[in-house]
Amino acid sequence: MNMTTTSNPVLEDSADIRTTPRRSVGQMLLSSGTVLALIALIIFFFAMRPDVFLSFTNVKNILYQVAILAIIAGAQTIVMVVGDFDLSVAATSSLAGAVAASLMLGGMPIPLAILVALAVGLLIGLANGLLIAYVNLSAFVATLATLTSVTGLAFIVTQGTTLFNLPAGFNALGQGKFLEIPLPVFIAIAISLILWFVLKYTTLGRRWYATGGNVEVSRLSGVNVRRARLLAFTIAGLVSAIGGILLTARLGSASAVQGDDNLLFSVAAVFLGMTIVRSGAANIVGTMVGVAIIGVMSNGLNILGVNAYVQQVVTGLIIIAAVTLSSLKTRSR
Amino acid sequence: MTILDAHPDTAVAEPTAALEARDIVKRFDGVHALNGAGLSVRAGEIHALLGENGAGKSTLIKILTGLYSPDSGSLHRHGEEVEFANVRVANHAGVVALYQELSVIPSISVAENILLGEQTPSRGGLVQWRSLRRRARAQLDSINQRIPLGMLAGDLTPVQQTMVAFARALATDARVLILDEPTASLTDTEIKDLFAVLRSLRERGVAIVYVSHRLEEVFELCDRLTIMRNGQTIMTKDVADSHIDEVISTMVGRSTGELYPERGTATTTVALTVTDLHGRRVKDVSFEVHRGEVLGIGGLAGSGRSELLRIISGAQKHVRGEITVGATSLPRSPGVGRALDAGIALVPEERRSQGVILGSSIQDNIALANISSVSSLGLVSGARIADITTRGMHDLHIKARSPRQPVGELSGGNQQKVVLAKMLARNPDVLLMDEPTRGIDVGTKAEIYRLIRQLAAGGTAVVTVSSELPELIGMSDRILIMHEGRISGEMLAAEADEEVLLAYCYGKANEHDDHE
Repeated sequence: MNMTTTSNPVLEDSADIRTTPRRSVGQMLLSSGTVLALIALIIFFFAMRPDVFLSFTNVKNILYQVAILAIIAGAQTIVMVVGDFDLSVAATSSLAGAVAASLMLGGMPIPLAILVALAVGLLIGLANGLLIAYVNLSAFVATLATLTSVTGLAFIVTQGTTLFNLPAGFNALGQGKFLEIPLPVFIAIAISLILWFVLKYTTLGRRWYATGGNVEVSRLSGVNVRRARLLAFTIAGLVSAIGGILLTARLGSASAVQGDDNLLFSVAAVFLGMTIVRSGAANIVGTMVGVAIIGVMSNGLNILGVNAYVQQVVTGLIIIAAVTLSSLKTRSR
Repeated sequence: MTILDAHPDTAVAEPTAALEARDIVKRFDGVHALNGAGLSVRAGEIHALLGENGAGKSTLIKILTGLYSPDSGSLHRHGEEVEFANVRVANHAGVVALYQELSVIPSISVAENILLGEQTPSRGGLVQWRSLRRRARAQLDSINQRIPLGMLAGDLTPVQQTMVAFARALATDARVLILDEPTASLTDTEIKDLFAVLRSLRERGVAIVYVSHRLEEVFELCDRLTIMRNGQTIMTKDVADSHIDEVISTMVGRSTGELYPERGTATTTVALTVTDLHGRRVKDVSFEVHRGEVLGIGGLAGSGRSELLRIISGAQKHVRGEITVGATSLPRSPGVGRALDAGIALVPEERRSQGVILGSSIQDNIALANISSVSSLGLVSGARIADITTRGMHDLHIKARSPRQPVGELSGGNQQKVVLAKMLARNPDVLLMDEPTRGIDVGTKAEIYRLIRQLAAGGTAVVTVSSELPELIGMSDRILIMHEGRISGEMLAAEADEEVLLAYCYGKANEHDDHE
């Protein structure tokens, strides 16, 4: 085909680029096996316990239960957008919670203790970023190493025990309510919105997605890919710390390993979320769908009285099912 | 089935040919890579396969070894038609190719490398180490090599690795060996060793296909030669009856036509000055490009031409040397971002891995190099992205359903236009292009040549690297040829002669200029 023979080879619909319809969010969600899985789960649990499952109290419970995971999964989303992943998010959150608790027990004012804990998360993220972007370690090795050291630090800070008797003002952050809904839910929503905005509308978000799309292409296009990765890990560390501090406030106590479950669940949530967009890139909306699946699963199985170990088995199976469904669809395209 | 039954009217396949390919046609995405390629190699001969880059040699080799299957045409072993469904089938039929880069598995021992896979002697799933070592030693002895069997193959020198690969081929009873540029990384003495082994294999009746850019070697070593051009086999001849000048002119051919726009846009204002540049391969390179000029850079693969562009564009660090755009001198190894800001843009060599993000949309790809111009205060403006995308798609005639279409779904030519659109949105003063038309159909090639000339007419200085001499001559105003990191020759394109340029490519400048 010789395109020079055509006078205007650009097709008609490019004339109105700005109005070219994007696939609407609804379309996008409905076309995804992951979203179908979520809907199927909700219908299933609703059918099993129509009296309980969709009641205001239970929905509120689900949101409360997944709020911290949503924050950690948000952090994981950022690093997975740049094409890496971070094994240390949950350990970082535990350490941040432990640091805040220990400082407050030592008499430090609440805001200051929180600030220090946030700084700890930021520094761990910065260390990850430096090791990966500038020392060229693989994300797996670097974050596995920091995971190990950070867990050790958390044990040191807590002296291997559980710290409690935290100030009531601090615990209120995790246990307080506004309009009957627990504060962590609002904080999780706010953080998700901020991350969504940053990823979608800022130059930083562009650079992150570009770096995750192809490091070499991005570098040759003038993107400072090292700085992009460094920032991704640093911000992920900071956001993880927020999650950890909130968890400590919610529980009213801090132990070295209390956030550990969130590591695997955060990765699972991002993976689930990657299936809802055509490009297969990590994205916040998808991650939140993933978080919802995990939350609904765990809550629903609880209501049905299934024990925690079986829940874990089923969660794994659901992840496989949803991702397989999506990849089958991609292949058939 | 015998070939006589299948083709009663056509020439009979050569019964003595250890391996013959006839009338091979192979298309990729509708573009002919091979169109009437053939090769016939006899037992006990070393047969050179020659041709310029892109002539189709490597595609033909991949068909001979079962890596690709031909769209039409046939393969024969001793006159008998064969089909190589995959590499294993070809290997079982005794046809083995040795590639420079994947000749051995570096992490295992020499002995294991020689008797890989099915060749590994085993009983009940256990490796018979003693038998393994004995048989490996026997193979090495048969080609007079003394390489310690227990050494890791990765610790060997390149020539030893090649020898181990030979031994492995012999262990599988290879009767046809295909060697792709086997001497590329060898020293003169190592080449002598290699030739001795090749000659002894020839004595043993092995048929050898020898691909090389080094014509002197061909004349020293080979019995016959086959020349390919544009996917076709042009001629096969005894080396004894051939002359090197004839071989070069046959490789180059004669056809340019109306593909290229007129020259004559160069000014006298210097746009880019490179002084005494040193990199990993690049040595002592100095040159100037003027506004409105198209400078072509040629040379063999590995001559340093791509590295030169990458250094100038900030994509690769350099050891020393000065790069000046207009009146501004760039700092050493500025990085791509600062080079772009200074007005230097690179269209890189590998479109799919360096040029575009295949999974991203056209507009996201174009925005990538223009993030600061489509944003303010850190926020990206969708309208401004749409603007530059519309302009780019219109100016370059990019064919796509919509600006949101993933670039991976476009044809190669349109992908390349996306790369160009991305860089042209920066309005560069100096545009560097590495193989801008590789893997692109002729129609789009012509468009790109016109575009290059338009840019030059608008005052841009364009530097293009190309492996194809006709393209280099057709689109450039002036040509530099690189050989082993240095500039080995310079010519005005209007006065250029492919044979002289090819001689420069092989570092033989002096034969044509003056004496050494």
